[in-house]
Amino acid sequence: MTQANIIVEDIPATVQGISAKLIRIQGQLDESNVDEKAKIIYQVIEQNPKNLYLLFDFEQLEYMNSKSIGYLTDWYGKIAEGQGKIVIAKPKSNILDILQVVGLTQLINCYQTLDEAKFSLLQDVVEKNNTLAPNVTSSVQQA
Amino acid sequence: MGQSLTLYLISGVLALIPAIIWLSIIFKNTQKRGMLVILFAASTFSVVPILLLQYLLNLFPQFDIIQFLQAKIQDQNINYLLLFISVGIVEEIIKQVIIRLIDHRYLLIKTINDSITLSLVSALGFSFAENIFYIYSIYTQLGIEQLFVAYLFRSIFTTCAHLIFSGYFGYYYGIAKFALNIVEQEKMIGAKKRFTGWIARTFDLSTFEAYKQLTILKGATIAIIMHAVFDFILQLNQILPVIIFVIVGFLILLSLLQKKSGQLILISDINNGQTSTMAKKDEDVVLELLGMWFKEKKYVDVIHICQRLLERDPGNRVVQIFKAKSIDKLKKNDAYSLILKNLFPTKNNNKSLAAIIKEQNSIENKLPKPTSQPLTNSNQFTQQQEKQNSQADQSYYKLKL
Repeated sequence: MTQANIIVEDIPATVQGISAKLIRIQGQLDESNVDEKAKIIYQVIEQNPKNLYLLFDFEQLEYMNSKSIGYLTDWYGKIAEGQGKIVIAKPKSNILDILQVVGLTQLINCYQTLDEAKFSLLQDVVEKNNTLAPNVTSSVQQA
Repeated sequence: MGQSLTLYLISGVLALIPAIIWLSIIFKNTQKRGMLVILFAASTFSVVPILLLQYLLNLFPQFDIIQFLQAKIQDQNINYLLLFISVGIVEEIIKQVIIRLIDHRYLLIKTINDSITLSLVSALGFSFAENIFYIYSIYTQLGIEQLFVAYLFRSIFTTCAHLIFSGYFGYYYGIAKFALNIVEQEKMIGAKKRFTGWIARTFDLSTFEAYKQLTILKGATIAIIMHAVFDFILQLNQILPVIIFVIVGFLILLSLLQKKSGQLILISDINNGQTSTMAKKDEDVVLELLGMWFKEKKYVDVIHICQRLLERDPGNRVVQIFKAKSIDKLKKNDAYSLILKNLFPTKNNNKSLAAIIKEQNSIENKLPKPTSQPLTNSNQFTQQQEKQNSQADQSYYKLKL
């Protein structure tokens, strides 16, 4: 089985009703491991069906096979349905190339640095938070 | 002798009338008219081997296998069927041999539709020559009273039937000719080819070669069976079933000719080779995804991805086949879904990626722009990509309309 790790971390901007997570994917997602690893993300989506904000850190992701692109599309569909958002940080040029041809970069914004991606995600969280509960905006901005 | 020659000449003129009408119909959709006229003329000689075979069998009846079998079998219908199958085998193979010879020399077939068109012309040449002998024999044996109806029937239905049989053979011959690209595309969608694999192992062939030969055999078998069935129904004097048979066959052939995948230029021109701007490994990932989504019937997404991939790798035949086949499937599905929607209205929640992008774009246009700029290889590339995508959208919808 090819080596691949998925680490899920909370982004300390989570406010009531909104979940933001950083998902670091490392190694190579291929036929031998993609189904098993995808379950971790599905679990996160199941636990947070609404207002889930995911930041995928692809810095150490070397390869994605066709199935993993299919999964990414499916995660996008599910998260967008629950009014959430996905952003990607630091994808390698080969992965970015594939995402562009598939058309996913039109749906999921990709950023060069983790900070930029986080900023963009949190900005959206702030906007969403304002619409849900205007009084907690400041705590989100501090995070 | 002189009267006989005059009668053959008159028969020739009469047989030429439907041939010209059919040729003018075929010419409407093609450019290579000169070559088609040559093919038509060459195909008229395709009756010569049949006449020669008949002559030899009359001379040496001990080698006539069909007659031998017919003597053993009591059932008249089976005897007729045997006769018609043997006629079908000989006639269909001879018609196709002419095309193979001409194509090998002049490389005329560049698309599957080219193969069908050439087959139609070859069949027309054969039918024209055959009609001369039929008109002559009907006139001399049955007289002028019987000639008119027989002439009309042969000109319309028998000629059309010949075109249809050869058209099917031509379709499969075209698929076989471009087997390399088609096998590649089918491999991507995970199509199981157990029989092809077995044939390849048994006869020590490559999968591609086995697929090619089996496809030609499939086309020949369909043409021969149709030919035999047509002759058999005709023998039973069942005119209405013959007419229905010809009309249905013609409509199916017409639908094959209208398929986008049939119009693809699949011949490889080494002088016109364009290299891909995408890494082979990455392109393979996208091709696998195309196969996956094609299988899942996500045809709109497949068309959009193909469009983008073709911008990066314009010469990729497999991508072209994926795109053309998806357009064909979409058209077909649209027709079915329209009927089904009217019968059983349902709510369809399964949105395509292309539809989500479209929806997203329309929402984003209404929202203020983000302060942090999303990443692509360069901003210029983003603009170019967006332009390409919108062009892809437009071209797809144009195709759909």
